[in-house]
Amino acid sequence: MPDPGDETVPEGDRIDDLTPAPIRPESASGRYRPGAVVLVVVLVVAVVAVLFRSLGDAALFFYEVDRAVELRSELDDARFRVVGTPQPGLLEIEVDGEAAVAFTLCAGDVLADVVHLGDPAELFQPGVPVVLQGSWVPGPVPAGLVAAAADGWHLRTDHMVVKHDNDYRGEGAEMEACGVLPDGAAAASG
Amino acid sequence: MAEEPTITASTRDTTGSRGSRLLGVATLVGLAVLGVLAFVLTDPDVRIHPSTGDEFGQFDAVRMLYVHVPLAAMTYLAYGLCAVASLGVLIRRTPWWDVTAHAAAEVGTVFCGLVLVTGSIWGRPVWNTWWEWGDVRLMTTLVLFLMFAGYLALRRTTGDPRTVSRRAAVVALIAVLDLPLVNRSVEWWENRTLHQQSTLGELKIEDLTLFTLMLGFLVLGMVLAWLLLHRFRVGWLERAALDHSVAAAIAERRGETPDEELRRAVGDSPAAREGFDENDRDGDPEAGRP
Repeated sequence: MPDPGDETVPEGDRIDDLTPAPIRPESASGRYRPGAVVLVVVLVVAVVAVLFRSLGDAALFFYEVDRAVELRSELDDARFRVVGTPQPGLLEIEVDGEAAVAFTLCAGDVLADVVHLGDPAELFQPGVPVVLQGSWVPGPVPAGLVAAAADGWHLRTDHMVVKHDNDYRGEGAEMEACGVLPDGAAAASG
Repeated sequence: MAEEPTITASTRDTTGSRGSRLLGVATLVGLAVLGVLAFVLTDPDVRIHPSTGDEFGQFDAVRMLYVHVPLAAMTYLAYGLCAVASLGVLIRRTPWWDVTAHAAAEVGTVFCGLVLVTGSIWGRPVWNTWWEWGDVRLMTTLVLFLMFAGYLALRRTTGDPRTVSRRAAVVALIAVLDLPLVNRSVEWWENRTLHQQSTLGELKIEDLTLFTLMLGFLVLGMVLAWLLLHRFRVGWLERAALDHSVAAAIAERRGETPDEELRRAVGDSPAAREGFDENDRDGDPEAGRP
């Protein structure tokens, strides 16, 4: 046992010294719970993956119909997203043995025909904007659409979501005029 | 060797108080009224299209609005509180700010998770999708949730509690930078989000729909307050128990400490009990408030 009066004994080892000793730095492995470290790493990876996917996808999101028509030659056969207002008239057709629907989208005065593979969205209806994902394909759509663009091209899409507005008033809903849909005047729907 | 002490962290055996119980009852009543208004008395969202004359809208799915929007607002509030408290941790360095920041982050993350879930449930019938990768509102909200999940994971790491608190505070202040992005994303990137713009900002809502939404803000605010209160008290008791454990460990290490001295060190002596009411750091969180 060291002598309390022995000046050669290090200060922290003297038995009458109750001063708290400095805390030794712990090693990194002993300082953190392995489970928590794994959790932090998983979360960081998840955030990076989400950002990566988000940024990659954001480049697709989304052209107005008039812009998509304007960029048709540049877009070539690339997949992109496009937003527009469906016109009255919906044709049920078959493409390569698969059920599809054909209709026309508009933005302002610009129209684009669409062949959408699969069923339309549950709340799909003329006058309510939709966002579609697909690409330009040469060739007309079958005859019978009320307001077809009929420009020798159509959008071949396979993903449809409805873009809703922020208006919750029972009356006085404000919808922009588009194609054959007049602003405020009742028109026959397809 | 000294006899092993019995440590009492607090004389209270509950985090409830008369005020919090009153708040809890009022919150339950509010939730019941909100449920009746949101799911029974308000009309579904059915409008007549001005051009086609057809019915359109969100129909019954709109009822999720009365929960989803207030949950989002309370998430902002909780994370905002966490940011303020985190600043307090870095500047004042008192336990009160640290426990407040932790409680706000934990409750805020529960609310943020519910925002994502209720939004997804609403999106399936209205948008035709549970989730849309690339939508800036959805993605920034998910990133916010993940960052605060990381904050909570960091808080569970061992080491010097003060160091963990300071690191967590820095993480919270970084994470909260995402809040304005979440809130303003629908205005800043209008062509990159399915999510609609603000309804309240342009007041495109009226009558019972507006009243029910406002009631949703009030009731979910009460839920937030009740949860924060109890989580804060639990955090405060955890900290008190930890302090007592450290005091007991020091006393045991020294080995020769008389029982009465040990009891005084851990706040369990008659003398300490007498002073409990006047300076109740363990039982009364307000005592530590700056």
